[in-house]
Amino acid sequence: MFKDKSTAETLKSTRTYGQFRCPNPTCLDRLVPKPGEKTVKCPKCGTEWRVVWLKPDLPRIRGPVWETNIEIARKKLEEVEKKGG
Amino acid sequence: MALSRRVAYIDLSTGKIETKPIPVEIRKKFLGGRGLDAYLLYNHCPPGVDAFSPENPLIVSAGLLVGTLASATSRTHTMAKSPLTGLLGSCNMGGFFSPELRWAGFDHLVIKGKADKPVYIWIHNGEIEIRDAKNLWGKSVTDAQWAVREELGDPDVKCLVCGPAGEKLVRYANVMTGVKNAGGRTGMGAVMGSKNLKLIAVRGTMDIKIAYPKEALEFNKRFIEQITTAKVNQTMGILGTPFIWGATNSWGGVRVNNFQYNQLLFADDVEPERFHEISNETFGKYHMAGCFACQVHCRARYRIPDGPYKGCYDEGPEYTTQGAFASEVGCTSALTVLTGNYLCNQYGVDWLELGSLISWAMELYEKGILTIKDTGGIDLRFGNDEAVIEMIKHVCERDTWLGDVLAEGGLRAAEIIGKDSEQYLIHVKGMQNLHSDERATPALALNIATASRGSDHLRSRPAIDLYHLPEPVLRKIYSSPIPYDGPLSSDFREYAGKPWQVFWQEQCFMAVDCLGICKYHTTFLGATLPNFEDWPKVIYYNTGLEFTPQELWTIAERCNNMERLFNIREGLTPDDPHKGDILVDRYFNEPAKRGAPDVIGARIDREKFLKMRAEFYRYHGWDEKTGAPTEETLKRLGIDNEPSHLL
Repeated sequence: MFKDKSTAETLKSTRTYGQFRCPNPTCLDRLVPKPGEKTVKCPKCGTEWRVVWLKPDLPRIRGPVWETNIEIARKKLEEVEKKGG
Repeated sequence: MALSRRVAYIDLSTGKIETKPIPVEIRKKFLGGRGLDAYLLYNHCPPGVDAFSPENPLIVSAGLLVGTLASATSRTHTMAKSPLTGLLGSCNMGGFFSPELRWAGFDHLVIKGKADKPVYIWIHNGEIEIRDAKNLWGKSVTDAQWAVREELGDPDVKCLVCGPAGEKLVRYANVMTGVKNAGGRTGMGAVMGSKNLKLIAVRGTMDIKIAYPKEALEFNKRFIEQITTAKVNQTMGILGTPFIWGATNSWGGVRVNNFQYNQLLFADDVEPERFHEISNETFGKYHMAGCFACQVHCRARYRIPDGPYKGCYDEGPEYTTQGAFASEVGCTSALTVLTGNYLCNQYGVDWLELGSLISWAMELYEKGILTIKDTGGIDLRFGNDEAVIEMIKHVCERDTWLGDVLAEGGLRAAEIIGKDSEQYLIHVKGMQNLHSDERATPALALNIATASRGSDHLRSRPAIDLYHLPEPVLRKIYSSPIPYDGPLSSDFREYAGKPWQVFWQEQCFMAVDCLGICKYHTTFLGATLPNFEDWPKVIYYNTGLEFTPQELWTIAERCNNMERLFNIREGLTPDDPHKGDILVDRYFNEPAKRGAPDVIGARIDREKFLKMRAEFYRYHGWDEKTGAPTEETLKRLGIDNEPSHLL
């Protein structure tokens, strides 16, 4: 009486391991840190992230590399304020 | 049978107790848990009643699947008119209380009246007694539970309790169970306190007959596989919910210094990995625990590592605690978060509300609207860890002027403080926003604006909107069980398509709240977790009730409309700044200043927001001007004759 697999179950095949997306909204490409790597830089927007490995194939962004990202944010804010945003 | 549990009506004024079966027709319309609570509230709460009046019914319930062979069915729901907002009061918590309630024979408790002295309710295998709580009154959340277990001579008694904050009518006091399982938001603990009801103790050994036990167990293996293989749950099982705060702070989606910034800088000491380390150091490697029938285990255990409360045992923190006692108040100390978490759990108070109110008071202090005389000598500047801890105690004890004022909630406090203080308050419907900053995320902004209990993330937040999922994946999720061919976008800054996502999520969350399933086991933080297509099997094997995914969707819609009817009756109009589906002006006027490059400068576009809201209303079948369900909608959902007083 029930479908063999639900939509949610079929979506399991889209899961990816060993990678995550850059948290900057326009950077849809995935970042793929090398196993054990502690930081990763987005080639598109230049933001840099600290990486932790919860499991050998499960990396997670712990947080920004503060100095890098604060500087990028500062410049962007200047641009936005110049435009009157 | 799983359907044989009863509803009990308990009048604390007269001592009268009556129980009734729940007709299957009612089950088929509202399932149980939050949905059936909404029906009961609309039918039993007199219009316009004061939330602290004895006439305001406090309704406690278990979801339809609680205590069965289905996974993650631990949720207890509590509902009443809210003393904070004057609208719907509703909260939901995990732990072990509601399975015990079902094993004791009951699904719903409707508690009316007010006892003339402190009492507790003792429920055991079909019996209900009202007992003297003189020796429990004044005790902390955990002390009260241990005391009643000792009195009853059974360490396995489970309790739903209000702490000292509820006794003192702090308008956002929680109901609690265990150490940290909290029914927070909207002040249901204060409603308990107003009834002189300290605690509900339950113990049950009555079987719940499962309709098809073999199939139920077999299917549950598949369910468990679906739940435990999700990356989000694997992460949660290691770091708990703090990983959510960490991820959100990374790109600039948390509220800092009330609403002045959107990212807590150099926050390493309050990142989830730091709390993981502290739990490891103070409790040991196996510090993660779970609620009833859950395989995720997102609850960390720890002892406070330092300071005046060094060595005290607690559980958590949650991502919302990091928000309350780190980012919102501009603090970057793990110790402050852990101590604040402990105090709130012991007092039984909503840290989302309290942290947000303290941060608001800090901004008022910074702007000179509050002075050091008003604060009772506390230097209430952002980043002052000691001030945060002191304010938690003063609010819960109501022992200083400012503590007493903040205990009244934001809108009442703003009226008392005056001097334009309200324009700095971050709230919807009089309930403070949680720690998140939705300026860059229109979907989440619409969610908090329209959530039925005020600014809230657990009613309709499409959190996977933040994952940049490809459009085809989004379409698969959001086109089932109801077809949808409108726009969908992977970019969380977009407006198009977001009303449908919020609408979809609202039905999804209502369905799990009716079933008693934890939201971490559905499409909330993970795209592959069970939802409408999966639940009919679980319901059928456990209860014998047959539903299609579409029928479950309609039930969720019906229950959401019952809540809407209640809110409309109690004064909700769309643009009312105190009771409406609207954001405060700061969302529209102040741009985000920190975070990922594409987030900087973000703010909500008022015109686009109002268009989203109108579209959201249309999906619901609500009148765009009044926000009320149309007659046609009520007829379609079979609730055009409410209140029907069938139960």
